[in-house]
Amino acid sequence: MTIKNAMRDHGQRYRPRMACLKKVGSAVLLEMQDPKTGVKSQLQRLVITTIPHAITGEDIVAWLANKFNISAEEGRSLGTMLVALGYIYPLQDHKRLVVKPDASLYRFQTPYFWPAQQWPVEDTDYAIYLAKRNIRKKGILELYEQEQYNHLHKWMNHKWDFIVMQAKEQYRAGKERKKPDRAVFDCQERAYWVVHRPPPGTVSGMDYGLDRLIDPNAEEVTETDLIFLTFLWLPSLSCFLPRVKSSVSIGALVKFVTTHKNHDPFLAQCLPSNPWVTDDVSYWTLNMANVEIPTKMRVERWTFSFVELLEDPRGRDDFRFFLKKEFSGENLAFWEGCEDLKWGAAAGMSEKAQHIYKTFLARGAPRWINIDGTTMEATVRGLKHPHRYVLDAAQTHIFMLMKKDSYGRYLKSQVFKDTTKNAINPEEQKFTDAQLDQNARNRRPSLSPIAIRQMELEQKAKLAASGPVDITQVMSKLSKQGKDAPPPPPPKK
Amino acid sequence: VCCILCKTSLKILDEVVACYRHLASCVGGCTDSLQLRDELRQTRDKAQKLAAANCHHLTSHLRDKSLPEEQRKEMELLWVAFSSSLELLHADMCKVFNMGDIFSLANSAVFVQTGIQGGGSEVAARALSMPDLNQAQSPVLPEGLETQERSTMEQEISQVDHMITDMEMKVNVLRWMVESRGPQYAEPLNSTDSASLALLSMDEEQPGAEHEAARHHSQMLMMLLLLAVILLAAALSVSVVIFS
Repeated sequence: MTIKNAMRDHGQRYRPRMACLKKVGSAVLLEMQDPKTGVKSQLQRLVITTIPHAITGEDIVAWLANKFNISAEEGRSLGTMLVALGYIYPLQDHKRLVVKPDASLYRFQTPYFWPAQQWPVEDTDYAIYLAKRNIRKKGILELYEQEQYNHLHKWMNHKWDFIVMQAKEQYRAGKERKKPDRAVFDCQERAYWVVHRPPPGTVSGMDYGLDRLIDPNAEEVTETDLIFLTFLWLPSLSCFLPRVKSSVSIGALVKFVTTHKNHDPFLAQCLPSNPWVTDDVSYWTLNMANVEIPTKMRVERWTFSFVELLEDPRGRDDFRFFLKKEFSGENLAFWEGCEDLKWGAAAGMSEKAQHIYKTFLARGAPRWINIDGTTMEATVRGLKHPHRYVLDAAQTHIFMLMKKDSYGRYLKSQVFKDTTKNAINPEEQKFTDAQLDQNARNRRPSLSPIAIRQMELEQKAKLAASGPVDITQVMSKLSKQGKDAPPPPPPKK
Repeated sequence: VCCILCKTSLKILDEVVACYRHLASCVGGCTDSLQLRDELRQTRDKAQKLAAANCHHLTSHLRDKSLPEEQRKEMELLWVAFSSSLELLHADMCKVFNMGDIFSLANSAVFVQTGIQGGGSEVAARALSMPDLNQAQSPVLPEGLETQERSTMEQEISQVDHMITDMEMKVNVLRWMVESRGPQYAEPLNSTDSASLALLSMDEEQPGAEHEAARHHSQMLMMLLLLAVILLAAALSVSVVIFS
């Protein structure tokens, strides 16, 4: 196409996965419709007239199987692909774009309505088509078409007079044609829009992913660039590139996939139901951060690795509860404080660092953590000029400590056993089509992120208010019980 | 008065563009012929002439700073409608041009068996019978070879492209400020026609049929009820007459 329509193009015509359309169109279909060597055509008998050039599904499948020397099953799926892309349309049951290997009739689509890579389907045309349908018979639009029409009326409002006028004109121009031709044209147009604006719940053959902004067929790397890359730049870099043996990396990947494959909503079933598919949000409400009873899948994920446990807010709560019982909550509190320092606002950083030092690191601090001497020295030195990552070494040390020690004990603990016992396993939800429609209509926006943030802050405040377990209190309690008292700690500042 | 002229001119352009689309849908099908291509060319020429005249009118009016607010709003509406028409025409012209590549008249065996039997002559006649407001005589292009026609077409497409670009450059119409005045739904034109067409289509749309059935059902019920009430009234009056 030599003429570039730069202003209206917006670079949207590069839809790479649609490159197959040209092969299908020019090659297969033109051979198929050849009156001598193509698929056998017959007359379609209607009430008052007959229309030629109808083909049966079984003929299509037989012709494809014969031409490409493939099995009937493959011929049928190839035929279904042709119908799904819009090159052939069914005359009965026009919404199901499949090839039925029986006597059901199909017809070739006119080239004007063939899908093409360089012509994206315009919403203006869709609006005109819907308006035309409404002119022909008022109220004939289905629910989803009605919704689309209203939506288009809202955002294409400036063109609406034109759309209504053009619909009327196209309708009038159509009336000039002979009745059988008009019926055929209506069927053609209807088939075109079933392909490109599929009814809800159907899979579209036109799903091509994202639009590309550059032409994927254009030359990207010029020759000089290539020379530069191969002889000058890459060799110098390659000695610095970190290398991992593929056996190791692939082994890690395989291990990850085997552990997580039942938890992936694409590979395994999402209980109770995938909200993106059924529009039912119970999956999200059951898996919220502050939920009382977690789901079984979630609890299972905590056993995969310590990171999973900590990343999940509910898991972290459970772990915190366990540590509270064991009176070793200061490790987790220190880790959380470091995270807060790393990810928090820059304004209060030095205060935060000081607070953490006083609470966890100073000699005789109320929640003193046990890290080795070198790390402690390095951290204290760094705290003279605090920055975001000043506590990184200490945090890593504590993390490894928790992972090697507390995590194992947590997994064997009563707390975890109770949580696992109480975890719920939701039933799979089965929706009928009508219920799915209703779900789609009852979609509501989720909680605003501002509200969620406020809830988090409130929770944090509550946690802080409940008070950290003070080592002095613990020690005094122990001494009251008659155990050996350690040397009295210095008075609290 | 100039507004009315613009409006009628735009309406005619819309009709010609609609006819062009119907003709374009026949290209590459079994009724594609030299005659169809010729009709396409003539319709295209007419559309372009109308478009040029319209463009000139609308641009000159909208560049007139002294235009009152109400008229300006109307002009902007017409402007948006006109530019949409042009875009539709441009898209159709590009499609016809591309399809001419694949379906050349020399090799008529590849024309797709689409089931269409008549040509687009009636539609073309409708398009060409539209009044020519410009009154200028159109130069009759010679019935040349296909290649010559293709190069002419290429030129014409780029002309329309330039027209659209020029329009955008010369007048700045803020599309989000333009509000449509017409109805949301186009009024049904002729109800008898739809009934006969319905006989031709093989499977009627499901919700329409369901609504029809439901409506008939409820209508039947109402009739039965009415009949029962009438019968009761008749019986009561008869009994009153007998026993009085």
